Formats: sequence, structure tokens, C-alpha cells
Amino acid sequence: MKPVFDPVTLAIPFFILAIILEIVLTRLKVARAHYETRDTMASLAMGLGSNVAGLLTAGVVVAATLWSYQHRLFDIPMTAIWAWVAIFLIEDMIYYWFHRLSHERRFWWAAHVNHHSSQHYNLSTALRQTWTGGIAGTWVLWLPLAFLGFPPAMIAIQKGISLVYQFWIHTEVVGRTPRWFEAVFNTPSHHRVHHARNPRYLDRNYAGILIIWDKLFGTFQPELDEEACRYGIVKNLSGFNVLRVAFHEWIAMAQDVVRHPRHALGYVFGPPGWSHDGSRDTSMTLRAQWRASQSAKHPDAGVAGDPST
Amino acid sequence: MPEGFAVQFAASFAAVAVLVGLAAWARIAKPMTPLDDARVLKLLAEEFPGRPIERVWVAVDGRGALAKSGAAALVLCEVGDGYVARHIPWAQAIASSFRDGVVKLDLSDVAAPNARIALQSWPPPSTPPHNRQAA
Ligand SMILES: [Zn+2]
Ligand SMILES: [Zn+2]
Repeated sequence: MKPVFDPVTLAIPFFILAIILEIVLTRLKVARAHYETRDTMASLAMGLGSNVAGLLTAGVVVAATLWSYQHRLFDIPMTAIWAWVAIFLIEDMIYYWFHRLSHERRFWWAAHVNHHSSQHYNLSTALRQTWTGGIAGTWVLWLPLAFLGFPPAMIAIQKGISLVYQFWIHTEVVGRTPRWFEAVFNTPSHHRVHHARNPRYLDRNYAGILIIWDKLFGTFQPELDEEACRYGIVKNLSGFNVLRVAFHEWIAMAQDVVRHPRHALGYVFGPPGWSHDGSRDTSMTLRAQWRASQSAKHPDAGVAGDPST
Repeated sequence: MPEGFAVQFAASFAAVAVLVGLAAWARIAKPMTPLDDARVLKLLAEEFPGRPIERVWVAVDGRGALAKSGAAALVLCEVGDGYVARHIPWAQAIASSFRDGVVKLDLSDVAAPNARIALQSWPPPSTPPHNRQAA
């Protein structure tokens, strides 16, 4: 649903300009970023395709949102400041749980994995968006906002603001922002951790705009100077084909269900990496292995910065 | 497709082409140097923490490597300016086809279907043929 004021459409020229700046400043050695041509092409093609794919399910999403709004509990005025403060906080918390679900359960991970499948972390990675999010149905999580009584246009605007905010944090050019900002907001540093595949960093920092949700719900992990982020997914892709980027996890999931129909529920709704015989690794087992290898190296030391120790 | 969207899509398509061209022009991918034993061991330690490595075969072009770790073969392959890693059964690795100086490994993974590693010979001479199936 596109409101009259659509933050994402308005921000597109800014997105393009920012990517140009990141590339050119790096070329001039003023900034530090890495761009691999085929990787950039895949990321941008995913962004473009995501817009088209969104159209396929837009009708259902709009209809469901309008239906929820027709059955709303309250009349929330779009002109009230308190209403914008409320939707900012509630929408951002919904985003946190959407994002956490998208990492912790394979069905939704299959739709989200593409955002993480680049081994790069630059502004083009931000545009590596899902093609299958509509089908995965996570938009349902936003319906309670309409049911509460927030006008659909207001919801669409707030979702757009969140998406636009999350663009600029996909960069290595910005190190750390002022401490007060890092404490409250999602920043390049926090989101670098989210895109890292180091066991210590896996499945951390799900925040959209505010990092407070991760701190509240126990998934916060600061970026540590001694451990540089290695980007990508646990099992990286061996190429740049966008169809593979968009669909590989869906195909792998279907293959697992066909091979092991008795364990279908686990393969679809278990954590990514779950297997009926324990032969594969999940984020949890990888973290445990890493922690064991760390304590074997340093038997007396705790693992600094690991929230689960 | 509404006309406004078609125009927006065409403009976005053009912008993508410009950005990809710019990225190619800038040559700012991660610098890649041919792999050597030390670097392979470092990368494998990151990919498979705590896993003991018995022996490593680095590709002659430095763009991949194979390692033996117990009953598993650890596979490392260059992709763009990065690497992908997988493990497969060692028996499968030594039974893989070796033609024109390249061993082709079936990784049985839709995300990384196979790997090609240029080696001088394969399987390693230290693996007697009668042991191949038993490994
Ligand atoms: Zn994510
Ligand atoms: Zn991201």
C-alpha cells in the first residue's frame, strides 16, 4: 500500500547517490568499502525484483489491512503526535519480532536469507531485499496495528521510515557513532554484527530502528574490536545467480521435506540448520562449538562479550 | 502493470546498470592473493572451528583447497572475492572425477552444487586405491 507520502520512493534518489558516494570515495581512498561487481549486481537485482514481487501479494496485504482497520478497536488520529510516537515504538517492536522469527524458524528464514547471502557489507547490501516475503506471510504481524486503529496510511509510512532508516546502517564506512546514539539506536556497528557469520555474532541484533529491543529481549551483541565481522551466511552461496539467491533455501527445504516426510515439521519450522539426525549445525550448536574451542584455548577465561556466558 | 510503475521500474533498471558499471570501474573488490597452506589453515579454522586438519591440498592456481579431517573432506573454493566452504564424506571426495587437472566435487547443496579444484593429481598417492572405499 503506497500512501501519498511514501518515504521509500522519496528516498530512492538518496539511496543511489549514497551508493555512488560510497564507491567513489572508496576509489579515492577517502572511505573504506568493498564492492565486487557481480555481488553488487545480485544485490541490486534483488532490490529491483523485490519491488515487482511485492506487487503480486500487495492486493492481499492491502485487503487484509483494510479489513483489520474496519474492525478496529479505537480511532487513532493520524494528526496526533502521541499517535506517531506510539506507532514508532510499536511498529519497531513488531519489526524486531518479525526479524527474530525470520532468523529463528526456517520457513521465514527461507524468505529472509537472501538479505544475508552477500559476503559484502556495503550500501548495496541494504537493497538485497526478499522476493518471497509476501508469500512467507510475515506481513500478518503488522495487522494488529490496523486492528488497534492506526490508519493504514500511517502504518505504511512508518514501515517506510523504518526501511529507509535501515539503509544507511549497511556500511563499513561509519565506525562507531556517539555513545548515546549507539545505546539507543540501531547503527552500522550493531547491524554489522547482525550480518556477521562469526559464531559469536550469529543471530544477534535484530533491531530495526531502536536497538533497545535486543537489549530488552536478550539478543544484543556489541561489535568487538578484537573480532572483525565476517559477512554472509553459515553456508555461503557458490555464485551470484539471483534465482539461486532468491530461492535456494526454499528449494533446500522442499528437498528435505521430500526426503524425510516424517520430519517435515522440523525441516520447515525448526531452526535453520535443524536436521532429524543432528548431522547439521544450527546457530546454537555452532555457538556451542565455538565456545568449547575458546575455552579449550583459554580454560580460565570467560568468553568476553558473549551474552550467553 | 500501471504506467507509473513501469516508468519507475525502467528508471530503477537504468540506475542499477549505472551503479554496477561504477562498481566495476572502481575496482574495489577485496584483494585476492593465491592461497597458501597457512592461509588455507586459517580459513578452515574459521569455517570449521576446532576441527583437526590432517592434511591440506592447495589448488595449483591458489583458488581453492581440499583438506582431510577424519572421515570428512573440507572443501574451500574461491567465489568472487571471497570463499565458500563445505564438508563432504572423505570417501566421496577421493572417488570424485579428476579430469584435465581438475577434481570436480559434488557438494549436494543447492546453494553450492559443486566445486572444481585444480590439483596436480587426485586422489592423493598416499591413499592406496584399495583403501578408497574403506575410508
Ligand atoms: Zn536479518
Ligand atoms: Zn541488513
